[in-house]
Amino acid sequence: MNILICISCVPDTTSQISFKDNDTKFNSEGVQYIVGPFEDYALARAVELKEKDNSIHISVLNVGLKDNDPLLRKALAVGADDAFRINAFPYNSIHVANQIASFIKENSFDLVLMGKESIDFNSAQVHYLTGSILNIPSLSPVTELNLNIKEKTILIKKEIDDGIETLEVVLPAVLGCQEPIAEWKIPNMRGIMNARIKPLKVLEPCDNEVKVNFSKFSVPEKKENIKIIDENNIDELIEELKLKNL
Amino acid sequence: MSVLVFLEFSNDNLKETSKQALTYANSIDDNVYGVSDSDLDDNSMKSLGSFGVSTYLKFSGSFDERNILNCIVTSIKDLKINFLIFPKSNTYLKVSSILSIKLNFSLVTNVVSIPRFKKNIYVKSLIFSGKAESEIEVNSDSCIFILNKNIINISSFNKSVLIKEIIDNTNILYPVKISSIKKEKIEGDILLNDADIVVSAGRGLKGPENWKMIEELAKELSAATACSKPVSDAGWRPHHEHVGQTGLKISPTIYIAVGISGAIQHLAGINSSKIIVVINNDADAPFFKHADYGIIGDAFDVIPKFINALK
Repeated sequence: MNILICISCVPDTTSQISFKDNDTKFNSEGVQYIVGPFEDYALARAVELKEKDNSIHISVLNVGLKDNDPLLRKALAVGADDAFRINAFPYNSIHVANQIASFIKENSFDLVLMGKESIDFNSAQVHYLTGSILNIPSLSPVTELNLNIKEKTILIKKEIDDGIETLEVVLPAVLGCQEPIAEWKIPNMRGIMNARIKPLKVLEPCDNEVKVNFSKFSVPEKKENIKIIDENNIDELIEELKLKNL
Repeated sequence: MSVLVFLEFSNDNLKETSKQALTYANSIDDNVYGVSDSDLDDNSMKSLGSFGVSTYLKFSGSFDERNILNCIVTSIKDLKINFLIFPKSNTYLKVSSILSIKLNFSLVTNVVSIPRFKKNIYVKSLIFSGKAESEIEVNSDSCIFILNKNIINISSFNKSVLIKEIIDNTNILYPVKISSIKKEKIEGDILLNDADIVVSAGRGLKGPENWKMIEELAKELSAATACSKPVSDAGWRPHHEHVGQTGLKISPTIYIAVGISGAIQHLAGINSSKIIVVINNDADAPFFKHADYGIIGDAFDVIPKFINALK
């Protein structure tokens, strides 16, 4: 059973976001990069499954530039067996999905796990797009994942607009993961030492026309002035919010 | 140029986000098609004219996902539709992705502005979980926009609706092997994503037993309830109520935060709310810097007073 985890490398959740070069580029100065929190969940679940059945092989993939290699090493330290980086700037969701799909076509995977969304561009669609390109099922956001290796099926729980659905899916499939699918894993010393000798391959991107560009950035204006209301004067708040009409 | 809007209904009523999407579509072009996977009667279809639908596309055949998508693919090609507008929802994120690949349409998510048409198309989108905004340049004449909630005021229209039956002439999508075992509905009348008002609480409430007053306040306001990450992590509230960077991102008209300090990860989930009210006993809580209204006081005093004032 081969599992592929696709990770995004994104600014830490506490990062202050700013831009440079006349607001055309992200200012990465002083920004700490992390594996996207949702992909961290996906990776952690795959490692949990491998702990139960060692025949599972976990590969990890990132579409991005060389700066992301330390984060791929981190994923190896957490428990992935090998890592791949497609050496391309991730322009937009369709671009990234095309790169991932062409990698999957050339390699064989039973299950592809991603995060529900990356926390930089938040499109929440790379898993669906990849599934559509490959003509295999894509499901998101998945909050529970169990594997039947013999039958090559999965049993999942997935959020829908008004509830939670339990589904059985015949593999291969692409899933977008979110909590509480697993507990985040922190690499231990042995994992970090082992990660140094695990393979990390850099691949060239496939040709793909980029039609959607993030051309200019801005940071929203801060709220002007907060109005403090005394707790004994809640009617004033209700009046301000015009709640009485509701 | 023509536009197709994907509509959603809740108990046979057109959702607010769908009305917003129709107003948005009319700002691009007069000729607006509407479609949905709800089985509407003729009167319901005709009533959509007041929200801006010119032609409603009605399926023939079964209402399974594959037939619906194939019918839509056929009609988009036949009718030469070049803009698809979706209100954002779990279902529509998936449908829009499939259509984008099958029809080779460009795709822009988290859209917050009306497009400008020059040599290319320009539209604004929220990024970094709402911490920033980007102008997006689309170099293509067919495009999908997925709209954030509350980005436009709903206009009223006076159109008489044509009803057009659509059929599957493509058969490009094949059935996949997914079987549904069971569906559990979320409890509560108002879904967090649809709610106009949200009452949210954090660790300041000290324990799950104290949520009763939050639920009562929500009920008085016809609001949905939400919570911060530490609260759902501790199991005080279900995970689907967690708003923040790794939870739901919501944009209600009014967001009331009780006993939440306002960490940057929490703000990422709620910063596109129109009005933010913060109730916290710590005057230095960072949330006050991002609020429109603040009450400095103990939630256990303030919330009962709030409920009483509403009664």
